[in-house]
Amino acid sequence: MISFRVDGRSVVPPYLQIVQQVRQALRMGLLDVGDKLPAVREVVAATAVNPNTVLKAYRDLERQGLIEARAGHGTFVLKRPPGPPPGTHSRLGRSLARWVRQAREAGLDDESIESLLRVTLRAAAEEEEIA
Amino acid sequence: MTAAVIQTRGLSKRYRRVSALSDCTITVPEARISALIGPNGAGKTTLLRLLAGLARPTAGEMAVLGGTPRQDPAFLAGIGFLAQEISLYKRFTAQTHIAIGAHLNHRWDAVSVRDRLRSLNIPLDRPAGSLSGGQRAQLALALTLAKRPRLLLLDEPVAALDPLARRNFLAQLAEAVAVGGLTVVLSSHLLADLERVADHLILLAASRVQLCGDIDAMLAEHQVLVGPRKPTTAIERTHTVVQAIRADRQTTLLIRGNAPVLDPAWESAEVGLEEMVLAYMSQESMGQDAAPANSHLTTVGEEK
Amino acid sequence: MTWLTWRQHRVQLYLAAALLAAFAVVIVISGRQITAQFHDAAATCAAGQGCRHLGGLFMGSHVVGFLVIATLGAPLLVGMFWGAPLLAAELDTGTIRFAWMQSVTRGRWLAIKVGWLMLAAAVWGGAISALVAWWYSPANNLAPEQFNPGRFDLAGIVPVAYALFAMALGITAGALLRRTLPAMAVTFAGFVAVRVAIVLWLRPHYTSAVTTTYNVIRGYTPPGSYWQLAQGVHGPGGKLVVVGDNEPVLGGIPLSQLPSSCARAGNTVPASCQQALAGFRGFITYQPADRYWAFQGIETGIFVLLAAILLTVTALVLLRRDV
Repeated sequence: MISFRVDGRSVVPPYLQIVQQVRQALRMGLLDVGDKLPAVREVVAATAVNPNTVLKAYRDLERQGLIEARAGHGTFVLKRPPGPPPGTHSRLGRSLARWVRQAREAGLDDESIESLLRVTLRAAAEEEEIA
Repeated sequence: MTAAVIQTRGLSKRYRRVSALSDCTITVPEARISALIGPNGAGKTTLLRLLAGLARPTAGEMAVLGGTPRQDPAFLAGIGFLAQEISLYKRFTAQTHIAIGAHLNHRWDAVSVRDRLRSLNIPLDRPAGSLSGGQRAQLALALTLAKRPRLLLLDEPVAALDPLARRNFLAQLAEAVAVGGLTVVLSSHLLADLERVADHLILLAASRVQLCGDIDAMLAEHQVLVGPRKPTTAIERTHTVVQAIRADRQTTLLIRGNAPVLDPAWESAEVGLEEMVLAYMSQESMGQDAAPANSHLTTVGEEK
Repeated sequence: MTWLTWRQHRVQLYLAAALLAAFAVVIVISGRQITAQFHDAAATCAAGQGCRHLGGLFMGSHVVGFLVIATLGAPLLVGMFWGAPLLAAELDTGTIRFAWMQSVTRGRWLAIKVGWLMLAAAVWGGAISALVAWWYSPANNLAPEQFNPGRFDLAGIVPVAYALFAMALGITAGALLRRTLPAMAVTFAGFVAVRVAIVLWLRPHYTSAVTTTYNVIRGYTPPGSYWQLAQGVHGPGGKLVVVGDNEPVLGGIPLSQLPSSCARAGNTVPASCQQALAGFRGFITYQPADRYWAFQGIETGIFVLLAAILLTVTALVLLRRDV
C-alpha cells in the first residue's frame, strides 16, 4: 500500500501533497487500478495531519474520477490519470539518470543541473505556445 | 450544520483585580481539532479549565457537550482534561493508574492504554515519577483517551516533548479524531505542529478572543496587501485592517474581509497561518487600535 | 472509590496497625506485670482504707508517663500525619485534578475518602483508649480518679472523639492551606489549644458543680470518683482561710489562727479548741461521681460537633474551589 509523506514546510498545502502523491504513484505504476488506498485513520496516524485534510484529498481525487469509496470496504483506485503508460516513467527515468551522470562528470553541481532543467522547461513551454 | 461541542458567550474570569479572561465568545463544532493560540498569560489555561469545569466563571455562560459543566458522572465521563503540569500520582505505576481509571469510570478501555504504552516502549511497572517528561505525557494522554471522552481539552501537552515524541502524540490524537466521536481543543505555542494537525483556531490575546473559526475559512478571509506609502482610508472602509506596517516608501497591510480589493496599486498575497496569528498577537503588544470593536468576535466556517 | 482510598492510604494504615500492635504489646506486658504485683500486695493488705494506697502502685509506674503521652498524642498523630496531608498533598501536587477528571464527582470522592479515614481514626483512637483502660482497670476499682483531668481524657469514649476532631482539623487545615507542612503545624496548634481551652474553661461547667459544707473536725469526702474543683475553709464572718506553704494546720486551718489548745489536739480535741473550730466551716466544690458518664457524653458530643463543623467547611470550600 502507498505511504504518504506530508512536508509541513512546503508551499504546497498538505491535502494537495496527498493528491499529488497519489497521482504520481498511479503514473509510476506503484499504485494500480483496483488497489486499496489506506484508510483516513491510517494516513492520519502515519502523517499527523488533520483527518479533514485527508478527507479533502480523497474527495478531490474522487472528483477527478481517479478513486472511489465503497461503503464498508474502503477506498479503491478507479483509473489512472491520463498520461503515458507506467513503463514510460521508468524508461525515461533511466535515461535521465544516465544524463545526470554525464552532467556530473562534466562538472555540474545540483544547483546548476536544476537551473538548467528549469530553463529548458521554460523554453519548451514557450515553444509549445508558439506552435 | 454540525452540532457545536462548545459554545460560550461573554465568558469571563476574574481573580480579585486581575482579569484572566474577558468576554470570551467562541464556538467549536464537532470533530474539530481546534488550536488554542495566544501569548503567555492570555487566558488559554483559564479557558480550558472553565470548559472542563475545574474552575467557575465570574460572568458569562457556556454550553459544553450540550450543558453547563457540572458535577455529574455522565458529564464528567464525556470530558478529558490534560493539565500543563501532568497530574499523575508519582508513586503509582502505569498499571496502577490504569486500575484507578477502571474503578473510577464506567467506560474504560484499559487494553488501549496497555497497547499504546507497549508500542511506545513505556514500561507499565515503573512509578510515574521515574518516567521521562515525554513518557509521562504519553501515559497521561493514553489514560485520558481510555475514558473515551467526547471532548478533549489539552493544555500545552507537547511542550516537554522532543520532536519525535511530539509527532507521535499528535498523530495518535489525530487518529483518535479520525476514528470518530471526538473533538479536541489543544493549546500550544508550536504553530508548525498546529498548522498540520488543526482545522479550527481560537486566538486569544490580552485575555480576549481575537479569532475563532475554521482555519481554512479564516485564511481565505485574510490577505496581505503591499503597496506604495499612501493613505489607507479607502481600504479601511471596506475591510478590517488587522495590522499596518508603514515604512518610508511602502505600506504593508494585513486585512480581513470578503469584498474585493479594486485599487490596482495594492498587490495582494495569500497569508499563511503563522503570519496571520502573529499579526493578531502583535496588534495587542503594539497597542494598535486597528480593529474596530465588532471585528474580532464573529465565528466563521461552522458549515462544512 | 473505596478501592482508590485503600490503595492511596494502605501504607499509612499498615503503619498505624503496626504502631498499634507495638503499643498493645507494651501495654499487655506491663499490665500483666503490674496486675500481678497488685494482686500480691492486695492479698496482704487489710480491706478498706489500708488498701487505698495500692492505687499508688499504678500511678507510680514509669509506664504511666508513657501512657499519658501516648494517649494524649495519639489523636495528634492521626490528625497531623493522616488528616493534614489527605487533601493538602493532592491539592499541592495537582493529583486532585486527575481524580476529579475521571467520572467520579467531587462530592463522592470527598465523602468516601474522608468517611473511611475518619472511621479508621475513630477505630485507632478507640483501640488505644481500650488498651489503656484495660491497663488501669485494677486501679479504678480502688482509687477511682477517673474524673480528674488527665485521667478523664484517657478512658471512656472521649479518646475516639478527640481522634475524630484531630482528623477533621487536619483535613480542614489541609483543604484551606493547600500545603502539608503548614497544615500539620496548624493542626498541632489548633488541637492543643482547643483541648486545653475545653479542659480548663468549659469542662468544669458542663453541669453546675455541687458545693457541700462540712464540719472541719469531721471532714468530708464525696463518694466514688468525684472531680474536685475547689476546696477550702470559711472562717468566722465567711472569709476564706488562707494557708501558707508548710504552715501547720488542723482541719485545714492554720494553727496561728486557733487557740493554743488546738496545737495539742490528738485523737481528742480539747473543748476550747472545739469551740473555736465551731466558727469555721469547710467546703468542697465538686462534680459528683455519678456524673462521670454524662460528662464523657457531653465532651464527646462537643468534639464530634466540632469535627462535623470542620468537615462541613471543608466540603463547602472544596466542592466550589477552582483547581
